[in-house]
Amino acid sequence: MATISPMGRRIEISPGLVAWLGVLAALILLGFVNFIRQSTEGHHLTGLTNDNPWGLYIVGFVFFVGTSAGATIIGFMIHGFERKDYAPLGTRALVFGLMSLIGAILFITVDVGSIPRMMRLPFIWRNETSMFTYTSITYYFFAVLLVAEIYLAVKITRGQGSDSEKLWAKWLAIGAVPFALIVVHAPHGSLFAVVKAREFWNTPLLPPHFAVLALLSGISAMTLVATASSAASGRQVLSKETFSHLGALLGLFIAIAAVMDVFDFIVFSYSDTITGNTAMDFLRGSNLPFSIVHVGGYAVALTILLTKRGRQTPWLTVAAAVTLVAIASYRYNLTIVGQAPPLMPFLESPDYFPTWTESSIALAIVSFVLLGYSVLTRVLPMEEDAGSLSEIVKE
Amino acid sequence: MTTYGMVIDLDKCYGCRACMVACKIENNTPEGHFWMYMFRLEEGEYPNAKTTFLPRPCMHCEDAPCVTVCPVKARYKEENGTTSMDWDKCMGCRYCMIACPYGVNYFGWEEPEDISYLDWDDPDVKAATGGAVPGYANPDLDGRYGEKNAHIAGGAHKHGIVGKCSFCIHRVEKGLDPACVDNCPGLAMHFGDLDDPESNVSQLLQKQVGFQLLDETNTNPRVHYIGGSPPSKDARQLDIVKGKE
Repeated sequence: MATISPMGRRIEISPGLVAWLGVLAALILLGFVNFIRQSTEGHHLTGLTNDNPWGLYIVGFVFFVGTSAGATIIGFMIHGFERKDYAPLGTRALVFGLMSLIGAILFITVDVGSIPRMMRLPFIWRNETSMFTYTSITYYFFAVLLVAEIYLAVKITRGQGSDSEKLWAKWLAIGAVPFALIVVHAPHGSLFAVVKAREFWNTPLLPPHFAVLALLSGISAMTLVATASSAASGRQVLSKETFSHLGALLGLFIAIAAVMDVFDFIVFSYSDTITGNTAMDFLRGSNLPFSIVHVGGYAVALTILLTKRGRQTPWLTVAAAVTLVAIASYRYNLTIVGQAPPLMPFLESPDYFPTWTESSIALAIVSFVLLGYSVLTRVLPMEEDAGSLSEIVKE
Repeated sequence: MTTYGMVIDLDKCYGCRACMVACKIENNTPEGHFWMYMFRLEEGEYPNAKTTFLPRPCMHCEDAPCVTVCPVKARYKEENGTTSMDWDKCMGCRYCMIACPYGVNYFGWEEPEDISYLDWDDPDVKAATGGAVPGYANPDLDGRYGEKNAHIAGGAHKHGIVGKCSFCIHRVEKGLDPACVDNCPGLAMHFGDLDDPESNVSQLLQKQVGFQLLDETNTNPRVHYIGGSPPSKDARQLDIVKGKE
């Protein structure tokens, strides 16, 4: 069955697509019910405690801010490096970036206790010394930037873009990367880094580490977007040479992130402070599965990408998926282990693990991001429709 | 200028936890919330082991990290030096809990009636209390306060926002000491104006060299300890009071 979207795009509604959207909708519904329970019964339904006040929701928040920032790399490749072979991914990357940002905001929304009060930040209530105030402002600007880019991309694809709009599209895409990395994601790392009480986070290296991870998660996500789009449309969205280039980029940023992790590990393994010892105890103890997925994921992905075949589908898809899971594990360990060292030497380390309620709400937000992406990339015109859409618009 | 502060004489403290109980009664804190907490610690090894006590209210730091990080200015400094909390602004992000090195903040994970010590709907309780207003909704403490017309900590407890010790500012404004100070049987706790050289707290600090908890964090706490030393690295907690799990 097929239908025409309001934007003039032909949408194939296959049984597979219906099933995919149905599963996502079911997960969203389940998470929504649990979110209502959490709102009415209380946050005690989560695994969070006074000793471990940040958990899975903050992990999701950090992860999606990273992928949203990283998704801007495709626009930079197209316009900054003039790699026109990446053009088929242009609008998809923007849509993914926007949905990721919405996902990040949803994560912080379910985390806070009072949503109506949260909505007053930063326009009515704001504290200029708080990094959270600053980052909340940047999310709004970033959302506006992404929406403007999508608007221009759609207009250009439909053959309605003027020369000045094309120029705007180019410079917005080029400017989006430094904005996303320097203004959005690196300060996002500062949310953690400025906290003196948490020695594990309190390092000036955390913001640049966040920027590197944003690029890495963005490239991983874009690789999955490219391979998934190819599978869905039945034809390769990118050429073999472009996939190979994407694979090489992925490998390069995994290597940079891994080097940063290695030095983090060395510094903490030499530490004789309670923070260092506790962090190491957690990374080798209760958080070991996440440590294995983090380190093992990078190692597996890098091994795959070092081979020529590994930089082509399906191995490239595996490498990108493994990298994303590894980054999520790193984010989990960073958030949880940062709170593990007792504030005073005689206190106990908190014992946190997400509950079923918390996990289902997190899964619902991930599903919402995927659902939004799946629908928008079918409704909105994509670059490959440029020729046919121009004719439809003319008619 | 007035700068309220507290001096705790560890030599006189014998760990009875009357301060914790007084705080609970005064501020109606729910189960598991301890705006004043008394650590009972064991240090050293047998035969040289010793027991020490460390009462821990909010430190009302001069450079309070919670005030710096709070995105909505729900946590702010009063002119009298106390670190206050605007209940109407707190959005429950818990950044203050992350930033505070002393762990003095407590989030309302549940509705207060679900974690109060008594089931106020129970007919027996109603009969015993004569239908009194539940402690978690104490109208005496739930009023608006101060020039900024802000709700301060010490009022009713709510789900989804953070609470902490207020130095019992509602009592101090009436010329009383905080409940923990007033009810300390060992007279170990003292409260007053640190800017006034004649005040009891200033006099005590002039006579004895004290310490501030975790002074390496440079928060400059307004709670000073005298008559003892900071807990050693090998200090262990003896009996941990957790309240409702």
